[in-house]
Parts: sequence; C-alpha cells; structure tokens
Amino acid sequence: MSNLKKYPLIEMKGVTKEYSPRKRFFSKCQNKVLALNSIDFSIEKGEIFGLVGQSGSGKTTCGRLLVRLEEPTSGSICLNGEPINKLKGIGLKTYRSKVQMIFQDPYQSLNPHLSIAETILEPLVVNGLGNAATRREKVLHTLEIVGLSPADDFYDRYPHQLSGGQRQRVAIARAIVLDPDFIVADEPTSMLDATIAIQLFQLLTQIRKRFDMAFLFITHNLAAANYLCDRIAVIHEGHIVEVNTANNIIQHPEHPYTKRLIQVQPGFDFNG
Amino acid sequence: MALLSIKNLSIGYQTKAGMLKAVDNISFELERGRPLGFVGESGCGKTTIGMTLMGLLPGNAHILGGSIGFQNQDLIQLNEDQWRRVRGKEIAMIFQAAMNALNPVMRVDEQVIEAIVTHTPDISPADLDKRINELFDLVEIPRVRMKDFPHEYSGGMKQRVIIAMALACNPKLIIADEPTTALDVIVQDQILKEIKAIQKAMNTGLIFISHDIAVVASVCKDICVMYGGQIVETGTREEVFRNPRHPYTKALLGSYLSLDNELTVVIPDMRETPDLTLESGCCRFAVNCKTCSSACKAEVPQWIDISGSHKALCCDETIIRNSHE
Repeated sequence: MSNLKKYPLIEMKGVTKEYSPRKRFFSKCQNKVLALNSIDFSIEKGEIFGLVGQSGSGKTTCGRLLVRLEEPTSGSICLNGEPINKLKGIGLKTYRSKVQMIFQDPYQSLNPHLSIAETILEPLVVNGLGNAATRREKVLHTLEIVGLSPADDFYDRYPHQLSGGQRQRVAIARAIVLDPDFIVADEPTSMLDATIAIQLFQLLTQIRKRFDMAFLFITHNLAAANYLCDRIAVIHEGHIVEVNTANNIIQHPEHPYTKRLIQVQPGFDFNG
Repeated sequence: MALLSIKNLSIGYQTKAGMLKAVDNISFELERGRPLGFVGESGCGKTTIGMTLMGLLPGNAHILGGSIGFQNQDLIQLNEDQWRRVRGKEIAMIFQAAMNALNPVMRVDEQVIEAIVTHTPDISPADLDKRINELFDLVEIPRVRMKDFPHEYSGGMKQRVIIAMALACNPKLIIADEPTTALDVIVQDQILKEIKAIQKAMNTGLIFISHDIAVVASVCKDICVMYGGQIVETGTREEVFRNPRHPYTKALLGSYLSLDNELTVVIPDMRETPDLTLESGCCRFAVNCKTCSSACKAEVPQWIDISGSHKALCCDETIIRNSHE
C-alpha cells in the first residue's frame, strides 16, 4: 500500500495529440495539426486543478483524452500509476466509472427523452449496481446533494422543465452518482448566468470536500479558475506554459502569455 | 434633446403559456456620446429591447404599449417600408454571433458594399471604393484580406467586419448585442477597445447589451440593470457598481469573479426564474429576494431616487435607502 501513495491520482506524461486532416480526393496535402504538444501534469486526490486557455489552445482535447473519448498520439496517462492507454473491456469500463465528465452545454448534454431519474439511473444500471429500490434511494440522495430538493419533485421531471442551472445540476448528479475519483468539468458554467454559475462553483467545492473527489476544471475564465482551483495550468497553442498554485499564477505570473491573460481580464477601472 | 427616448415600453410574446411580458414598462433616454449599457441575465429582455429598436421582433411579439422617440418620430408607428429606411442607416446593430451573421458564400467586402449601396444607391464607384477602404482601415483589417470569404477569417476578424457593416452608413445609433460573448478574452479586449474608440471618434449613440457587468462597465457611462423584463436599477456606472442598491444588482456584483480582490464574492441564493406571465408592474425579483416581505408581492414597486441619476425599483424604500451593510 505504501507503494501506491507515491503516485498522483491522475498523471499525463509527455502526452501529444495530432489531428490529421481528412484525406479528400482533391485536397492538397496539408500539415497535421498538433493539438497538444508534450503535456505533463498530475492531479492529486481531492484537488481541483484548473486548465486555462483561449479557444483552440487544446484544453478540451486534454479533457477528452483523460476520459478516453480520444487516444493520445504519444505519451501516457496514468490513474494511480496504472497506464490507461491499453485498457479494454472490463478494465476500460471500470476506468470510466472512476472518471466522469461534466460537459459545457446542459441543453445538449442531457437526453431530452429521458426523465431526470432515468438520466441519473443510467450509470447505475450500466454498471449493474444495486436493485431497483436501492437505485431509487441513491438517485434521490444524489439529487439532494446537488441541491435539487425536494428530490421527489425532480425525480420524474424532464430536462425541458428545468432551467439551465438546474440542468447542469442534473449533469453533476449524473457524474457523481458512481462516486468517481476524478471528474473532468469542461467549461461547466460558461453557458450560465453569473448568479447561477457562482452557485454551481459552491456546489463543486462542497462535493470535493464531502467526497474527496479530484476535478479538472477547464475554463477560459482566469478569474473563475482562481476562485475554484488549488492549482492552475495555463495552456497556449498546445503547450502548458505555466503551472502553479492559483494564488501564485495571479500574483506572480511568470510567462508573458499568463501576464497577457491577466491584463485583458475586464475589471472595474472606470477610465475612458 | 435626447437622441433616443423610450417611454413606458412593454413588449410581450404570445406563447402557449399566455402572454409573456418580456419587457415591462421600460423608460430610458439615451444621449449621444454617453454609451448606455444594459446588463442582466438571459431572458431578462435585453435582446428584445435591441430587436425592437431594429424593428426585427419575431412574429409572436406584440408591442403592448409605450413609445420610442427617435429623431422626431415614434418608431413604433413605422410600417415596414419606413423601417427599411431607418434600419441599417439610422440605427445599426452589431450582432452577437459573428460566426453566423455573415453570408458564407459572399466575399467580405461585397457584404459591406451591399450595406452601403442599399441605403445610398446613387453612390459613385470611386466614392464607394474610398468608403470601403476607410471602413476596413477603421476596423483594422488589412486591405489584402478584403476579398476573402468569411470562413478564412478568425472570430475576431469576423466581428470586425460586422462592426464595419454596422458603421457603413454612419448610423446615429448603434446597438451592440453581446458583441464579444463568442470571443475569448484576448480578442474581447481588442474588440471592446475598438468599439470604444469608434464610438468616441464618430460620436454615435451606443446601446451596449451584455450579461457581463465588467464588460458593460468598461464601455458604458450609464448602466441599466434589468431583471425579468424590468429595469430595476439605473445610474452612472460608478453609482451602480460602487454603490448598488437593488438586491438583484447586489447579487450580480456579489457573484462576479474578478482577479483584483476589490470585490468580495457573496454567493446569492437565486434558484427561481422570474415569472414573466405575472401582471404588469409586479416585482419580478420577489421570488428570489431575501428581503422580500408579503407586502412586496401585493404592492407595485416604485422608483426610489438615490441621487439625480441613480434610482432603483423596489416596494420597500428602507431597503434601497439603507443599503450599506
């Protein structure tokens, strides 16, 4: 057991991802796009790790690799020291139950034909956990955790009957219902209003505290990352340019790109 | 005289659930050279105001009352023919989705030319050429890129073209509806600087709509905070953001995350969406208001003056007056 402790919860080592353009009959030979270039970082148990970058910087690709929606071109990703690249069958299924994802757009990430209960039940059913009664109990409990109470009230509703913030809470419930170790949250609040977003940040912090889950928080908003995260990595054109504690990144940025990001954050300076 | 003067404007959408009052009894005035910002959450009616000023409301929208005074005419009374002469020429709009606002099969310069020729059909080719070059210089797009198609442009450049199109006919009033929402922070910074510089240089009226209070604060001198179709607080940006009085403005500022620790985060407890089917004039914020009393639900909120320009809409005068917690 003492051996296990040395490994971070999740680790990316020299991960590179290339996209090659689709070959078409008339297309000229184009260069490959290097979405991620030799990415290294690790996330500890119970840590909220922020990945901040502009659109096209590769931050979403990073998240997709971590939940194995895509395969890296080279490099390795390890969970508790075990590489995940070669996982298949049962191994992959177990991995996917430990690593969950919350998507950006709650209007698209929930199936409109499934009730809230069915949405949250699905991971339990797929993984064959419990019987009908215990599953129902679990779903109601999870709904209470994410702040959709009274849970009975939401149980049989459909996504179209919920607001954006409530939908994102359902997406969070779906992600945490299997008690995963690690959640990738890809811009979970960029579609929501500020007053709703901050309540969701509060919820994520509570969940982290209660279940000791680790999060990768992907965002373009440095201020949001600063508020939520323990450490922040700044990603630019597929490279991680700087990793540091949130406080150090904001107070003592080193890389010129980080400085630039901080400088362009709109603030309340009433000049001009 | 004010460039634009809106009085008691109400707009409703006819839906299966009944008439939704998306804009409820709104009044404001806009001076040239004093950009006015509308801030509020999605569904608060800010885009509906923009669309009304462009005469582009969808079919199920009804103007329930009020007037829009612009250059000695009431825009509400205009028919479609008259609208065509105003829209784009006198009042122009910078749209939110730069990605979708351009025609993908037309070259970029042709789209700007189209905007000019539509309103000044007898312009000479030499003048047209000059004007096009002027516009592209103004929004800082290199002339070699003028003949490109929109897909060859980045998001920021597309938004610049949209700005050039809006400026094409020297409008008196520009409505910018979330012009930087689809862009990332670095490009947003450039576009905001550009909008500010152009507004100053041309001295046009500007209505700037955004959900981001800091973006609005950086562009506009006067602010209207909207909630559930009503303006709930209005004043200069210093008054509204340094000394907020309405509970919603406070919630909005409390949830704003900034890098300077000047603002402390206060997590609001706002779970409900406002009910737009309520009768006109009711306080829409009551469902989420911590300080709400039973009287609030029965009474009609009144404007409470804090200073000459700063006022807030509330049923309880003491809440607005004694706002320094």
